Amino acid sequence: MAAPNHAAMPDPLEPHALIEGTHTDKTINDSLLNHVWRGAGKGWWAMFSVALAALSLLVISLSWTLYKGIGVWGNNIPVGWAFGIINFVWWIGIGHAGTLISAILLLFQQKWRTSINRFAEAMTLFAVICALLFPLIHTGRPWFAAYWLMPYPSVQGIWPQFKSPLTWDVFAVSTYFTISLLFWFIGLVPDLAALRDSTPSRTKRFIYGMFAMGWRGSGRHWAEYKWAYILLAGLSTPLVLSVHTIVSFDFAVSVIPGWHTTIFPPYFVAGAVFSGFAMVLTWMLPARHYLGLKHVVTPKHLENMAKVMLVTGMMVTYGYVMEHFIAWYSGNPYEQGQFFKVRWTGPMAPIFWLMVTCNCVVPQLYWFKKVRTNVPMLWVTSVLINVGMWCERFNIVVTSLHRDFLPSKWENYAPTWVDITLFIGTIGLFSTLFLLFLKFVPAVAVTEVKELRHELAHDPSVDAVGETH
Amino acid sequence: MSAGHGGFIARRFVLAEFASGTALLDGAKRMRLGGYKDLDTHSPYPLHGIEDALGLKRPKIPTIVLCGAIAGACLAYGMIYFMNVLDWPINIGNRPPHSPPANIPITFELAVLLAGGSSFFGFFTLARLPRPYHPVFESENFSRASIDAFFLSVELPPEGDASKAMADAKAAGATGVEVVTESER
Repeated sequence: MAAPNHAAMPDPLEPHALIEGTHTDKTINDSLLNHVWRGAGKGWWAMFSVALAALSLLVISLSWTLYKGIGVWGNNIPVGWAFGIINFVWWIGIGHAGTLISAILLLFQQKWRTSINRFAEAMTLFAVICALLFPLIHTGRPWFAAYWLMPYPSVQGIWPQFKSPLTWDVFAVSTYFTISLLFWFIGLVPDLAALRDSTPSRTKRFIYGMFAMGWRGSGRHWAEYKWAYILLAGLSTPLVLSVHTIVSFDFAVSVIPGWHTTIFPPYFVAGAVFSGFAMVLTWMLPARHYLGLKHVVTPKHLENMAKVMLVTGMMVTYGYVMEHFIAWYSGNPYEQGQFFKVRWTGPMAPIFWLMVTCNCVVPQLYWFKKVRTNVPMLWVTSVLINVGMWCERFNIVVTSLHRDFLPSKWENYAPTWVDITLFIGTIGLFSTLFLLFLKFVPAVAVTEVKELRHELAHDPSVDAVGETH
Repeated sequence: MSAGHGGFIARRFVLAEFASGTALLDGAKRMRLGGYKDLDTHSPYPLHGIEDALGLKRPKIPTIVLCGAIAGACLAYGMIYFMNVLDWPINIGNRPPHSPPANIPITFELAVLLAGGSSFFGFFTLARLPRPYHPVFESENFSRASIDAFFLSVELPPEGDASKAMADAKAAGATGVEVVTESER
């Protein structure tokens, strides 16, 4: 019997490479654009039809809401904010991982971000679209919302009230959407040029050519482009922190027990990153398999994402502990009642305990390398984290509101079919947009992977794992 | 081909292909030092050291973005001050009409919005894009410039001699050279 060929087997102690296999610019180009040129497979059509079915639920429930008014939702007094705001905060949070991956990791020169940033940025855009829908329709009459929210010189002669965090929110979220779109598009331009130049079809060449804006890889352009890109990243970084901080102000500035706390801004941001990474994994794990991206989204990427979720999961857990500590330490009976009675044993307690299980216990599995590198385990845990983060927002919004100061004001809450189908419908909207993105645009930033390959191959100060020495 | 009807003068470029990014940078620098002015490189990804090779001045984008950020901040603060202090003061819990801390979030957001917008639109304006047609696209080979090839383009003066520029590009390390002429449309 021949001795096992050690040279062919990867050393288990060696970290996984960022780009697996030997590649040239051409093979990277072809392998990463392949999924755009390849016809949509059965799997894509199956997922797309499910997504469209869910999207049709959105059309129905949205039309019904606009026709009848928000009375068809389960909201009541005191639970004046419910699914609308839960879903808004949940979706915005999911979007934040995209900005974190593309901007913050770029500034920290984390080279592993390169393979997943385009994917995550697209997710940001679509998640923010879903998020924007809710504050718009929760005003009841969205066609008037422009008067109330935007500083528009209306015939009423009055202006928005700029001391309200709700007005700050309008500016924060719309800025966030705009900047994410510009950042995404400017990063996409060289890849669109690569698409334009690799197709034999005249029609596709024309369409991608239009979006590529006549990009010709000019060195004079690249010199300014690098600055435009890094500055957009630099601007997005404080922006993403400010957006969820301002979202948390919507709650923290009020006096409701369970909302009135100074830990909200950092704890919302950590929760946003936590849920966003979970959503990236939920989509990335199947996508890297079906789109043939395993050579650029390697186990190293999956492990790093799991580590980020472990850290942010513990930050979120710290937030929960601190909320309870401050409730006890403040001596405020309403705060103590909210946290130690209502959340633990009240009518909504199952949601609280589901949140604790999904957000505090489940991520502890990521201490184990076996879990961090096991694809089915990663997928299941990432879905559980998404569930947990939705429950967290439910706890903050509904559980706090349904038991506030006066027992005579207490009221239970149950969502109606409209609430539930609206939520499922936005998942459908997100999935539809995302599947279209995966079909028509390269899911990985091709240009940046080529640049990374060049650096890994030629720069002696950077090793195959992307660490700078 | 140099002068068509209506005073159209076709621009001509020498397009030289190089084997790698490093060779392109080296070649561009040698051509520039050899006295060629209208040089440009074309590569699938940004090359480190391109500014030095082409002798570019400091990039303008950072200044544009800074101006955008300052304009956004001033616009936001001015807007809030005008609307909630001068034009229509609203008494909110007896707080002063001009309360700076409450103005910080929107001032920051609009500064970011205008800075990001000036980065994006500033770049496309400086690069004079979108521009669907450029003479370099006349070359069949040029479609590889966005995939895996490295080109140097030299714009020739109207009466310039293409063969000298081609020979110089070869001497600077080009693996293939050709002349492209702007088509009239």
